[in-house]
Amino acid sequence: MIAFGVAVTRSEDYDRWAGPGIDRAREPNSAVYANSSPGSIFRAYNLLLDEAAEHGDLEALVLLHQDVEIVDEDLCGKVRAVFADPDVAIAGCVGARDARTMAWWEGAVTWASFTHRYYEHGGGILPAFSSSPETDQLPAYARLGEVDTIDGFIMALSPWAVRNLRFDETLGQFHGYDFDICMQARAAGRNVVTADLKVWHHHSLELMPDPETWIEANIRLTEKWESLDGSAGGEDWKARARRAEAQASAFNVLKISANMLAAARERELLAELDSIRNSASWRYTAPIRRLAAKARARRSRPG
Amino acid sequence: MIAFGCSITSPDMYREAAEKGINLVAEPDSVVMANAAAGSLMRSYNLIMNKVAEMDGVEALVLCHQDAELTSPDFCSIVREALKDPDVGVVGCVGALDVRNIAWWEGSVTWGSFTHRYKEYGGGQIDAFTFTNENHPGYARTGEVDTLDGFIMVIAPWTIQNIRFDESLGQLHGYDYDFCLQVREAGKKVMTADFKAVHHHSLELISDEFVWIEAHKRVAEKWLGRMPPAGLPNWGAADYDWKGRALQAEAEAGAERLTRVSIQMKAEAQARRHKAEMEEVTNSTSWRYTRPLRLLARELRRLRAARGGRNGGHPEAPGSAPANLQAPPTPSAARPARPTVSRASESTALDRGEG
Repeated sequence: MIAFGVAVTRSEDYDRWAGPGIDRAREPNSAVYANSSPGSIFRAYNLLLDEAAEHGDLEALVLLHQDVEIVDEDLCGKVRAVFADPDVAIAGCVGARDARTMAWWEGAVTWASFTHRYYEHGGGILPAFSSSPETDQLPAYARLGEVDTIDGFIMALSPWAVRNLRFDETLGQFHGYDFDICMQARAAGRNVVTADLKVWHHHSLELMPDPETWIEANIRLTEKWESLDGSAGGEDWKARARRAEAQASAFNVLKISANMLAAARERELLAELDSIRNSASWRYTAPIRRLAAKARARRSRPG
Repeated sequence: MIAFGCSITSPDMYREAAEKGINLVAEPDSVVMANAAAGSLMRSYNLIMNKVAEMDGVEALVLCHQDAELTSPDFCSIVREALKDPDVGVVGCVGALDVRNIAWWEGSVTWGSFTHRYKEYGGGQIDAFTFTNENHPGYARTGEVDTLDGFIMVIAPWTIQNIRFDESLGQLHGYDYDFCLQVREAGKKVMTADFKAVHHHSLELISDEFVWIEAHKRVAEKWLGRMPPAGLPNWGAADYDWKGRALQAEAEAGAERLTRVSIQMKAEAQARRHKAEMEEVTNSTSWRYTRPLRLLARELRRLRAARGGRNGGHPEAPGSAPANLQAPPTPSAARPARPTVSRASESTALDRGEG
């Protein structure tokens, strides 16, 4: 039996996205746990693990965010295929190798079969590079298989993982739970892999709403795993500090530059649009367009 | 006599910006040293300073980047006024307090009377917060600062004789911060003054981040413990808590990168919305049917221009936007997402190579 679990903080998101997606993918005997989120996502997910672990016939537990919509009717089949290998503990639809911190996107990303759907500026989509391998040519670096970590917005856990791993509730409220559980699985000798699971992530374009919390979580995770791998004493912390402080400043400038570029681009596009809307031909034909709009409205009126 | 110096790598840019400004503000007896760059900017500036140091009657040396245009006609008077105090070692039009590394804009910026003029996206300009004389924010004030932006530096006679740019630091970055630290270490003051300038510069603020990073490290290494708070991190760790500093900075760097990706994704979303609006207009029946009229009007304008009349396509006046070189605060929102790992052909989302 493949179970599904969601920690819900906004019921409307679950009803709109995660719930319908689960209905699309689930099998008749699937258990679905939609729990209100009592505190941190670490704690909420541990409760889901405890509940799923009670099923003797558990084949996998699929944990997903409330804003994730599964659009893959064959998700259960793909999850089963992945866990046919007993060494696989965790699977996801986005993963990277050489991920050194919870910023997995700074590693070598090998697979990403999701689409980011946003609602700002009239809405739109940003498909990831392997969201449509059936129709689009994949980049050379795209491949399924073993990775260091996956993005936790959807993660499938094997029965072994459900019964033997737990999210580390000491790490904080939200950030880094995915990187940490993948590190735990790998430290236990199991594999973390990507699978071609199709999902839509309904999310704002604001990717870093609370940098301070994110930074704190990153520090805690780096400390945790570097002290565990035994290399902490041998690090040249001074060189690391110098380099990282310089990088942080450089990335800050690049961020400012991106802001300025975005503003300049916006200004140019607005000017272009204004030049059309203020043109004589557009202004003189405005009454015709108003008439046409009224006619269309009358035609579309029922009865 | 007020001398002017410039190190030139692009004669066209010098003509367009620095030379224009110097011609506007220089006095009849001013000496202008427009030299081809001699290796690094530090070395080029030292060469100019050495030459000027040999001259008699020098009241100040104004070092300008080739893309910096002075625009205050009374510039020389402003300089004389600022240098009346013999303790002043160097003066600029942008400065900040509590500057801890070469990224002076991470300090508390007190003055910025320049505008950033760019050519991308049809061109435009972004005024720093004291470029115009109105609506200055409460924190705006001229006076003593830790460091200046070096795109225009006015060097006092004492400094010309006693301080030199540190050529061991690299090619370009950090020379201004290091120079200001040297001046302050020698007991002199670094000051801002209200002269105006235009910085003709791309919106790409760092062209080679790795070179910039190396300069950042070298300058921090040079000054830690020598002129506090130089060399300290922005968040106030103990000087030699290298592990704490490393962990914090690595995390900050990750957050900054992700925020940049977010900005790029938002810009792409905005552009898509505009494109859709534009298509809606240009595909409308009325726009298509009136095309012959627009073509006719364009032809008439062209003919009038050919006859020596008014040029029909005069450039749009540049707009302005707030530009205190601080990124807008990140709005708070719900839980974060990860960057979209885009197809290689889409440059807006996280590009695996650089995102």
